[in-house]
Amino acid sequence: MNDPISRSQFLRLAAMSALLVIPEQARSGDNEITRDMILNDPDAPVAGNPDGDLTIVDFFDYNCPYCKMAAKSLEKIVKADGNIRLVYKDWPILAETSIVGARLALAAKYQDRYLPVHHALMDIPGYGISQEQMLEAIGRTGVDQRRLDADIAAHAEDILRLIKRNLTIAEAIGLQGTPGFLVGAYRVNQALNYDGFVKVVADARARAKTGK
Amino acid sequence: MPYVRIAGFVTLLLRLVMAAVGPAWSVTPMPADQAFQLRAQLDEEEGIELTWSIAPGHYLYRERIVVTLDGKRIRIAAEKGEPKDDPNFGLTEIYRGTGIATVPAELLPEKGHIVVTYQGCAENSICYPPVSKSIDLATLLIEDAGAGEGKGPAPALGGGKETRDVSAWTPSPSNGLEPEAGGLGGGLASTMLAFLGFGLLLSLTPCVFPMIPILSGMLAGGGRLSTPRSLALSVSYVLAMAAAYGTLGIFVAWSGENLQASLQTPVAVLAMSAVFVALALSMFGLYELQLPQSWAAKLAVVAGNRGSIGSAALLGFGSALIVGPCVTPPLAAALVYVAQTGQVLRGSLALFSLGLGMGLPLIAFGVIGSRILPSAGVWLLRVKHVFGVIFVALAIWMASRVVPVALTATAWGGLCIAVGLYLDVPSLFQAPRWRPAKLAQAGAGVLALFYGCVLVIGAALSDYGPLQPLMSVGVVASVPDASIGGFQVVSSEAELDRAIDLGRKQGKGIMVDFSAAWCTECRLMERNVFAREEVKRRLAGMLLIRADLTRFDLSSKTLMQRFAVVGPPTVVFLDPDGTEITDTRVVGDIGVDDFLNKIAKATGV
Repeated sequence: MNDPISRSQFLRLAAMSALLVIPEQARSGDNEITRDMILNDPDAPVAGNPDGDLTIVDFFDYNCPYCKMAAKSLEKIVKADGNIRLVYKDWPILAETSIVGARLALAAKYQDRYLPVHHALMDIPGYGISQEQMLEAIGRTGVDQRRLDADIAAHAEDILRLIKRNLTIAEAIGLQGTPGFLVGAYRVNQALNYDGFVKVVADARARAKTGK
Repeated sequence: MPYVRIAGFVTLLLRLVMAAVGPAWSVTPMPADQAFQLRAQLDEEEGIELTWSIAPGHYLYRERIVVTLDGKRIRIAAEKGEPKDDPNFGLTEIYRGTGIATVPAELLPEKGHIVVTYQGCAENSICYPPVSKSIDLATLLIEDAGAGEGKGPAPALGGGKETRDVSAWTPSPSNGLEPEAGGLGGGLASTMLAFLGFGLLLSLTPCVFPMIPILSGMLAGGGRLSTPRSLALSVSYVLAMAAAYGTLGIFVAWSGENLQASLQTPVAVLAMSAVFVALALSMFGLYELQLPQSWAAKLAVVAGNRGSIGSAALLGFGSALIVGPCVTPPLAAALVYVAQTGQVLRGSLALFSLGLGMGLPLIAFGVIGSRILPSAGVWLLRVKHVFGVIFVALAIWMASRVVPVALTATAWGGLCIAVGLYLDVPSLFQAPRWRPAKLAQAGAGVLALFYGCVLVIGAALSDYGPLQPLMSVGVVASVPDASIGGFQVVSSEAELDRAIDLGRKQGKGIMVDFSAAWCTECRLMERNVFAREEVKRRLAGMLLIRADLTRFDLSSKTLMQRFAVVGPPTVVFLDPDGTEITDTRVVGDIGVDDFLNKIAKATGV
């Protein structure tokens, strides 16, 4: 087992470096946004039905209480509907530990454990989540922690670039805060409950049918 | 797939939006700058006053307001916020409508600029990224802070100047798309249920007993009543009783923390403790603690004569006020909870549920009648004695917060000895009958005697020194620092500032220990943590301050507010600049190892 101190120090340093780097790159980065980047970023974690007729893009932050509220309904409708593809856009904007959480979750993707880690982090209620709380929650998911640490280090650049892309996209489509959703052609910048998602999903499908 | 420039994509989105839905849908969240409008005002003496006008439906987190000068965090005085106690999110302090924070004048140079970072949410909707504003100290001009200066992780987004002219696909609540939590919070039903259960438990305490004769008098007085009639009367009686509690809830929720604060004063605690002793004595049969006979008689007469639903309700309302004092500690706990939520409707409903829970057994009693109660006998006497002992125990427990530990230990010892004697003395005068129950009773009695003696002797020998009754009420300069020297005791914010200044000059890290004479956990920490050699060694290089909260007055309240301390024991570590080191705060009594970890964190070792 790794020494928890060095590990947490590392994560903190990583978060700090992201702090310094992200704004810089976000400004200098490509100001071209493609539909593909939003819907089909190969690095972005995907859930639901990969061949679903409707894609929902979820912009969220692990320190966002309302994201956590809405996430439950979102997961529920994706499951109940069966024909929705869900794209996760880690959008760490609320606090320093948000970046820690995003890195942990995205690094877990390299061992195919993004979803358990994501859910573990989303299940911590409230805002102002400490890094210790995050690590503790992740510890219960059965993720290979040593591998996670290694992946965070080995893929630091890739993860950072993905987060940066997500930041750029969210800004470009005019999201004001977390959570934000793209449901088909619809942008929803508000936490929804289950009924809300049902309605937006129905509208987005109707739109797709008549609009093209 | 062709590349589309942002503008093109956004325009496309815009068109789709316009085509698809009516205006009711296109509610976009307000930009953060609109939701939270910051103004700065100079007060020669106080410093710079920051005022946020917060749009309806939005709130700002108090603890997220950060002011930096040249990249260093400086201390501000942010006014107390509204507590937001969401079952999901925990307790936080927020501002609605207006938020005010003051940057002390003495910390500000004449020229230059400060950066103010703040963060908030739209209720049940979205949370905004931190917003950073730069304020010119000479002109008080507010501008967006440059990227990288804010504390938030993505300052590039914080400015939010580039508000795109895109209409959002945002369903409005008027479309039936209510966000997850309703206006009162998702936990209302569970809160009410919990209080109902709480009330049921309360109904098991003898405090409810006085109500039984009143109710039965009412039911029996009017001659034989049909079951539906008794049900109606009992229900109205209980509903009125619950309503009385609900009304109480309204007042408490309104008055907010004042009640909680006053309940914590030594006088209030001792008074409540005294009430319990009085109740206990009555249980032991020293006297009958009942309503003044005249009242009881009058009530019974009213009950007997009328038996109307209206009078039943009146009786219920009155009864609640009568038993109110009796159920003090649980009720106080409930009231404190309600006061903390600060929500009038929620608090009122919670207490209404409490009253309902207390009344449910009464309804059952009212309908089925006194037949269900076993006839009085020796057992009833025993039950009363048991309750008497419990009341005395409650009295000691409450008083233990304000009286010295040694006295508390003596009291516990005395109680144990008394129980032991109660159990054993009768056996001495009776012919020995070797039945298991008797043996068990005698055995328990001996054990209680023994434990009681140990407690009393322990109290007499304890290192808390002689009894210092005056200390507890703050008459004598209070906190004993026998276990570890070197603490500088402060009891007001000015003293604290002076101490912090001293630390700054010496370049020392600072540990502030919020403590109070009546705080038993603080004593435990002093003994078990601060007194340890290892801890002493690690704290050696630090300036140790003890903030004394023994007297719960204005200055101790401001002391607590300064660091948003909920209560003692709380330990806060500051860097030499007087800024709290994050993630190092200790709340409550913790073990040595955990405390050493916190020190390690605070000192960066």
